[in-house]
Amino acid sequence: MSAVKPRFQSFRWTIVLVCVIALSSCRKEPEAWSASEEHPWASGGSQTVFDVGAGAFSHGFPQMSATANALHDIGDMQFEQTFVSSPAPVNPGLGPLFNSVSCTSCHVGDGRGKPPMAGEQPISMLFRLSVPGTAAHGGPLPAPGFGGQLQPRAIFGAQPEAQISISWSEEPITLAGGEVVQLRTPHYQFTDEYQTFPVGMMTSPRVAPPVFGLGLLEAISDADIRSRSDEGDADGDGISGRTNEVWDVAQQRSSIGRFGWKAEQPTLLQQSAAAYNEDMGITNPLFALESTYGQPQFDGVNDDSELTDSVLHAVAFYVRTLAVPARRTTDDPLTNEGARIFSAAGCDRCHTPEQRTVVNVAFAPLSNQRIFPYTDLLLHDMGAALSDGRPTFRADGNEWRTPPLWGIGLTQVVNGHQNFLHDGRARTLLEAILWHGGEAEQSANAVRTMSRPERQALLAFLGSL
Amino acid sequence: MKHNLFLLSSLLLLGACKKDSAEPTTPTPEGFTPTAVLNDFAAHVAQDNYDDLAGLSTGLHDRIVAFSTSLSEADLALCKQQWRDTRLSWERSEALLFGPVATESIDPRIDTWPVNFVDLEAELSSGNAFTAEYITSLEDALKGFHPIEYLLFGVNGDKTAAQFTAREIEYIIALATDLANLTASLDQRWDPATENNYTTVFSTAGSGSAEYPTQRAAFAELVNAMAGICDEVANGKMGDVLLAQDPSMEESPFAKNSIVDFTNNIRGVENVYLGRYAADGTGMENFVREHDLQLDNTIKQQIASSISSLGTITVPFGQAIIEQPVQVQQAIDAINALATTLNEDLLPLVHQHID
Repeated sequence: MSAVKPRFQSFRWTIVLVCVIALSSCRKEPEAWSASEEHPWASGGSQTVFDVGAGAFSHGFPQMSATANALHDIGDMQFEQTFVSSPAPVNPGLGPLFNSVSCTSCHVGDGRGKPPMAGEQPISMLFRLSVPGTAAHGGPLPAPGFGGQLQPRAIFGAQPEAQISISWSEEPITLAGGEVVQLRTPHYQFTDEYQTFPVGMMTSPRVAPPVFGLGLLEAISDADIRSRSDEGDADGDGISGRTNEVWDVAQQRSSIGRFGWKAEQPTLLQQSAAAYNEDMGITNPLFALESTYGQPQFDGVNDDSELTDSVLHAVAFYVRTLAVPARRTTDDPLTNEGARIFSAAGCDRCHTPEQRTVVNVAFAPLSNQRIFPYTDLLLHDMGAALSDGRPTFRADGNEWRTPPLWGIGLTQVVNGHQNFLHDGRARTLLEAILWHGGEAEQSANAVRTMSRPERQALLAFLGSL
Repeated sequence: MKHNLFLLSSLLLLGACKKDSAEPTTPTPEGFTPTAVLNDFAAHVAQDNYDDLAGLSTGLHDRIVAFSTSLSEADLALCKQQWRDTRLSWERSEALLFGPVATESIDPRIDTWPVNFVDLEAELSSGNAFTAEYITSLEDALKGFHPIEYLLFGVNGDKTAAQFTAREIEYIIALATDLANLTASLDQRWDPATENNYTTVFSTAGSGSAEYPTQRAAFAELVNAMAGICDEVANGKMGDVLLAQDPSMEESPFAKNSIVDFTNNIRGVENVYLGRYAADGTGMENFVREHDLQLDNTIKQQIASSISSLGTITVPFGQAIIEQPVQVQQAIDAINALATTLNEDLLPLVHQHID
């Protein structure tokens, strides 16, 4: 043995030497990549993918077993299925009222929805409804006759709840250096309602959010999220932030809200099940009653669940295992200057760059990942201009959950637009920043008053995410 | 959706080792420059394919209108053939499912499956006027290729002229009008004369394009689109149906056109690879041949093998999943092998050589 060992060691040194030579013949980029899978370029930790095109948000986790891949693919197929009126051999159960016929018709390319253009119906945008008061477990009280969501579409023979038209008004904002940005405000008009809206009904517009990377957000511990909450602004930095506390239907207990524009859903399973039920009228194991239950258009059919338990779980698994695209242009000095400005302007105090997922021995692909989602998953007061005036569990009208920023620079190529914020009013990232009010107003002001080159650097940084 | 990208993280190491020389200003003997590949893709593949699709869709509308007055078997046969021809063009274009066809939701509006038969029959029984505006407002599962197919061919694919009702004629004309309008608007979105057209977006990759900051990104888009449709055909359109052993899941069942659809999807991949539709231009092929003749050979062989293995399925697809599962599985395997080559060999080559 002792005679063999030195030979083996010299062999090892040869390998190291060859590697060093191979690396030194390259330029410096590979060192950054090889340094660690946990480099900030790798937004999704080891579940990061390297597609900068239309499919950037649609990749399964690259680090996953073949079995898990197969389940992801089943969920992928189900995510694309179109539902139709019953009875039908394939995918029956649509409606009677609905917003959409498939998951993918709102979440195009697993990406971001947008408000309709003039004359179009909202396809990837919906309106939540409620009346004053709270339902069981503290949630919003559904609007009598309409429920928790406006469904502007219906199967044949049923009547859509109402139609929506949007008009816009614009107001110029002048930035330091003289650049003028037009901020547009939406004005919603509801027409053709099938019955009179209840008195005091509140509405909240929501575009479909991107659905990739959500499994990693689900895997951040409650303790980590709570540790960033500063409800009374004890540190006096003008930024508070608090968790939404919502109802977990499967567990029958209160839980931190993580998903949705107001963090109103605790898990991806519940998010998926609620979307099947409310958006498509598909009953499922978590939400067994038709969305029209208790309304005049309820068809009285208490049929079996229109979605099996396994399909629901497959779709939740699909969303849970959608990977995150890597950052681009991270070796560009402009991008790095933008990153510095992002921090200096205080953006990172809510858009928390880095998080770590919990150790998960049951499902290693999600376990202990250093990720860069740029969110704290907390609710923040975003000011009156963005308020929907509609409470959702603990979230008041002004409060919105910090949305993750990872992948945001790929919105144009995936979705063909750059409409941001909960109602898609912003048409560029700069407009989105300038709408920030409330706790974020100081950051928006910093962007208003900074020099044009600084703003361009900041936008270059955001574009690299 | 695609799982092979992790390899890329290691291949990016190699990508950093690429030669420092700038893009050659004079074409190589293969006629390859990255700009030529992108320009010719836009001009010779995307534009020509969508031109063709829009023209054939208008032709389908015109033939249906002619049939509506004659109600002759001969005109119905022409309609059915025109549907197949239009379908061919569409299926080939599915190898380029990015840009306006996706972001403007044109795909679901013309090619949603399944058809909502309950509502379709209810529409036919109703007194609703099938105006263009009304058809636009209808659900996706009530318009596009498959409702037109259902109405033209009938449930068993043997519909005769005498079986058409007046309401069916009204409806199918309105659907054909809608299809022609949507495909025309898709065509227009790639027309270089239109504002914000996608031809410019694509050919200015790396020099001002908001969508494609580098030519590498645009090249990768083409590879991903090719690999994406292979994955969709092999594992979605074929694999899921074979696995479920459920003929009712078959797309294009009334025209018994599914195998032809799948074959045209792969022909579309070939078109993107070669940079040709009607005319042959500089394609991905020219790029590959400059760097790796063996890979070019493999890709071409795998395209041919995918098409020939689809050709061994001799009965309609809904029947084949029961009667010829071996042939179906062989075709799935052949197409998956092509997808693997595109993902694991071609994409890294792009990352290695295109900036």
